[in-house]
Amino acid sequence: MKAAEKSLQQSYRLRQLLIHLMPLAALAILLAALCWAVTSKGYRLDIYLNIVFNEAVVLAVVATGAVFIYTLGSFDISLGASTLFSATLGVMTYNATQSLPLMLLVILVTAIGCSLLSSLLASVFHIPVFVTTVAMMSVLSAIAAQIITKNGGALGGISIPSDLLRPLDTPWFKVVILAAFVALSIFIFSFTKVGRRQKFLGGNPVCAQLTGIDLNRYTIIAFVMAGLGVGLGAFLTLIYTPSVTTGTASSIGMNIIVAIVFGGMPISGGPNSKIYSALVGGFSYILLNNTLKILIDGNTGYGVSQIVSAIFFLAVVYVTSINYRTKLLPR
Amino acid sequence: MMKKSMKKLFALLLASALILSVFAGCSGKSTENSADPANSPAGGNEEQSQAPAPANEKPIKIGVLVADVSGEEALGFRNYYENYIAKNYNVELLYTEQLTDAAGERSAIERFAAQGCQAIISFSSSDRAMQVETCAQNKLFYAVASGMLDDEQYETYKTNEWFVGQVGPSMETEFEAGYAMGKYFADKGAKTIAMYGAFIPNPMHVYRAAGVIAGMGATYGGASDMGAIVGQIFGDQGVDPSKVSGGSVELVSYFQGYGETTTDELNAAIQAQPDAFLSVGMATTFFTQQLNTAGIEFSDIDSFTSGNQAAMTDGKLVYLAGKYSSSIGPIFAAVVDAVNGNPIRGEGGTAISVSQSYLVATDTASFDKYYSADQGDSPIYNKELLDTMIGDSVTYADFQAFVEADRS
Repeated sequence: MKAAEKSLQQSYRLRQLLIHLMPLAALAILLAALCWAVTSKGYRLDIYLNIVFNEAVVLAVVATGAVFIYTLGSFDISLGASTLFSATLGVMTYNATQSLPLMLLVILVTAIGCSLLSSLLASVFHIPVFVTTVAMMSVLSAIAAQIITKNGGALGGISIPSDLLRPLDTPWFKVVILAAFVALSIFIFSFTKVGRRQKFLGGNPVCAQLTGIDLNRYTIIAFVMAGLGVGLGAFLTLIYTPSVTTGTASSIGMNIIVAIVFGGMPISGGPNSKIYSALVGGFSYILLNNTLKILIDGNTGYGVSQIVSAIFFLAVVYVTSINYRTKLLPR
Repeated sequence: MMKKSMKKLFALLLASALILSVFAGCSGKSTENSADPANSPAGGNEEQSQAPAPANEKPIKIGVLVADVSGEEALGFRNYYENYIAKNYNVELLYTEQLTDAAGERSAIERFAAQGCQAIISFSSSDRAMQVETCAQNKLFYAVASGMLDDEQYETYKTNEWFVGQVGPSMETEFEAGYAMGKYFADKGAKTIAMYGAFIPNPMHVYRAAGVIAGMGATYGGASDMGAIVGQIFGDQGVDPSKVSGGSVELVSYFQGYGETTTDELNAAIQAQPDAFLSVGMATTFFTQQLNTAGIEFSDIDSFTSGNQAAMTDGKLVYLAGKYSSSIGPIFAAVVDAVNGNPIRGEGGTAISVSQSYLVATDTASFDKYYSADQGDSPIYNKELLDTMIGDSVTYADFQAFVEADRS
């Protein structure tokens, strides 16, 4: 009897290990696939790896902050608009003051402020957070568009001097930003009560609140972390391209959802939430996109790579959901 | 239970691997063609393989940055490059998907650099200064087709050795196109007009709308010069009819954009019974049928296409300012020269900067003249003409005269 129970436990642990390792294995496979695709075509791998890194680092930073919100079982559709708005105000600040520290401060404060406003509106009006983020998305995009078109004139965009942030446009600087933010997030999520309580709230909000956990408090913390991620993402965006147009960061909001799922975290949040999902998923998604762009001839037709990417997304959601369709409570 | 799940998992992984293999297999064909010039002298597809190039000569590889993937004008441009230029020159053209921001433009240029492109032709304008810099960093020649950098940007980059140049309507040209259209209807005796502002605050549409107002003989917020009107329209994010005054023509209705309210706005404009409906872009794509049915004469700044030909012949389209698809031919020739080591430079080694005007058709005869002269295998800028601009003896003056020559 004991042997059977032990075997069952071992089997469960093995399965859990496999499921946890799956996103990492997928990341390794996708990296190998990209390297194979690039070299088989005779393209330059160093440039491709640089492109992937530059695209993924912004997504990974913003998505890492967003994990705190997704853990609560909520989601924020306004993160792309918030990135655009923060970058817009940052550029306007620099052009008015010529001060880089002030620009960075404005970007971070704006991003955190926008995020907090979403959560506060939800608390005040007692409506789901994602509803307020939908409204925020429209408002922030509209204000940013107004500022950009009014000040951009015939150029259609606003910008800071191109050489201002160029010294920071290095992999090492971006790695430091990414690593520092991921480390901070892991510390808060895994080594303080914040993460544990947020997982509880995401898994069973009624039960969590009955035990005395304050939903509003942890929602605010989640949105502050998401705002910090958005601010850093906006700064990294400006490092990559010193201009802001109405289309800047327009795809980030949706890409975050895909990245988090690719990283093995359920969109419903709860106890299976993991910080590293955003990091792994962000890089996996960008690797997949770039590999598909190489494999699918760009001249065959627009949108083909997006369709294939969507098929992969559905497959990944199906595979990862195998773990959640259990009758056992997660351990 | 676990076995069942694992089976499903492996089935899915296998299916995914198969899908990837299929695409890898499909792309393998084009890889072979692209990599081996002997198989395809002109590049990576069947059409390009018809190019009359020596089998041992490597094709010139050019990346094309694209922001508009569905407009009639954009499709016409692409058709000219893919189905005429690629057939007649030893060139491989690679296209981006729809670019929406500066980051996408930079990634696309870097991707083209990784793929061995030698030059970039840009139809995307999120951040052209960044495009020049990224091309220079990656040692790629860069040219703007059908558009221009603003004056300050041009001054900054005009001596950059990688900046080939720009050929297209400047913002002043856009203003003049709108002005001519507004003046045409004012001179024709129109008393009331409705106006469609297309996608203001898109700068091109802003300048055209400002031109229309000035061409009507009206002022906007008391201003009558280009800079002041344009500045106010940017500030208003559209045209405010209450600020249009003076002149003999009254603006009775205005709307812009395309969305859920567009049909209602168009109906309101039609019910105002204007003498004419003036559009600064896209009206022929969106509203031709409704305006024909309502019997309202209309105008647009678009391109010479079969759809617009029908609207002018059988419908109420009475004025069209447009570009023809092969108008992007000269910049291609300039890029080929640069890649071949014969860059066309102005005095002091400056990059090409030539403004290209619109052609105007006000009746079927003039429309047909431009339309039929720029078809498929016999475009206005055909190989015979372009070849005169490819070589080591072409000067800036030659090129400027070539672009500015009346091709009608």
